[in-house]
Amino acid sequence: MKYLVAFTALFLLAVLGVSAMPYVKVLGVTPDLVLVFAACWTVARGQGEALVVVPLAGVLRDLTTSDPLGTSVLALSPIVLLTATRALWIMESELVPTLLVVGAGSLGYGVLSMTVLAATGQEMPWADGLLRVVLPAAVVNALFTPIVYLPVRWLSPQPRPGLAGTAPSSR
Amino acid sequence: MRVIWWLLTVVSVSLLSIILSQQRALDPLENLSLRITSPTEGGLRDLADPIAQLFEGIVDRGDLVRENQRLREELERLQAEAAAYQDAALRIQELEMALGVKQGRSQDQFLAADVVAQDSSGLKRTIAIDRGTSDGVDEGMVVLSPGGSLVGTVFQSYKGFSWVRLVTDPESAVNAQVLGGSPESQGGSEARGVAVGNLRQGLVLDMLPSDSQVSEGNLVITSGLGGNYPQTLLIGSVKAVEERPQAPFKRATLEPAADLWSLETVLVLTSFRPARLVGP
Repeated sequence: MKYLVAFTALFLLAVLGVSAMPYVKVLGVTPDLVLVFAACWTVARGQGEALVVVPLAGVLRDLTTSDPLGTSVLALSPIVLLTATRALWIMESELVPTLLVVGAGSLGYGVLSMTVLAATGQEMPWADGLLRVVLPAAVVNALFTPIVYLPVRWLSPQPRPGLAGTAPSSR
Repeated sequence: MRVIWWLLTVVSVSLLSIILSQQRALDPLENLSLRITSPTEGGLRDLADPIAQLFEGIVDRGDLVRENQRLREELERLQAEAAAYQDAALRIQELEMALGVKQGRSQDQFLAADVVAQDSSGLKRTIAIDRGTSDGVDEGMVVLSPGGSLVGTVFQSYKGFSWVRLVTDPESAVNAQVLGGSPESQGGSEARGVAVGNLRQGLVLDMLPSDSQVSEGNLVITSGLGGNYPQTLLIGSVKAVEERPQAPFKRATLEPAADLWSLETVLVLTSFRPARLVGP
């Protein structure tokens, strides 16, 4: 059931990403809600589910873009690795780590996508791509994270610390 | 340990998929994708415009007062210039007729297509249209806006839909000429260059002769050189000219004639066979 929910949400977000979202531009880039959702799900529900949801997000994203199939699956995989550092997080709040995972995941996604596109023979303006697309995308995706994080957090079964770092016992 | 195995599997499968995708072995799967999602996308695109306007309103709220004042001043100036523009409009109409953008393509055959998706990654400038190989659309075909100006070329064609590379994509390069930009060395012929897509500036006209007389507002059309585009298709107009002393070539930033990001319908030029399709 949980994967069906994730699939449905990712499908809608992937379709939204190529239909309505291109009209929304902040700092010249469009927020990648599929990436943000995958990162939020991973942080909120653990690495076990991330092993399924992240590739699912990649496949759905690949199917709705002109990139070669497999590009997004590969480019999103760093998100799972980033959450492997979960044990090192000292903050009670999960929002800040989620923002960091989204930001770092966006950077990884951008660099890996550019590498794949360059390797498949496409012209890749690295300087412009990094400065005008990848870096702004990391910031913009982080800005949009709370919008996706809150419903994902709400869907997650285990009680978690509050947004501002409040421990569950204090609520 | 489980994550390492997962990572190895994902990397292997992804690389294999990328290779197979490049070999067109996964076309049946890719062909299904946008055909399934396009009905949902159509509805979402219809909803997008008011949402985008609302979003812009939220983002730009702080600038509205200053913007209003500036617009009032600009209105006064524009009213004074309106009479002069009426004369210029007649001149533009004559140029359009001379270019054949509106009237000279009556012999060409077009296939109308709806835009069903846009690439949102930012690394590419591409759109998807709801016409594919079953409609006679082939890779390399030229795509125009409803007004007749150049939009791009089809670069991936599947049974039910195609991906179009816009002229502003970094991969796009179109042989072009500037109307009214004749270099002294070419004795009256139009200045020629290559219109290339650019992530920073959108569309740039490069390789212009250094002695060409290109100025802001000049119209830029396809030159037909290379055989991949028909002649005299309107690409856009010169927005700014970059003078580079000592450089052998000039560069100019262009404003595409078609509003590439709000296209809903495009025309695929089916009667023109690009050189890359015809072969040597």
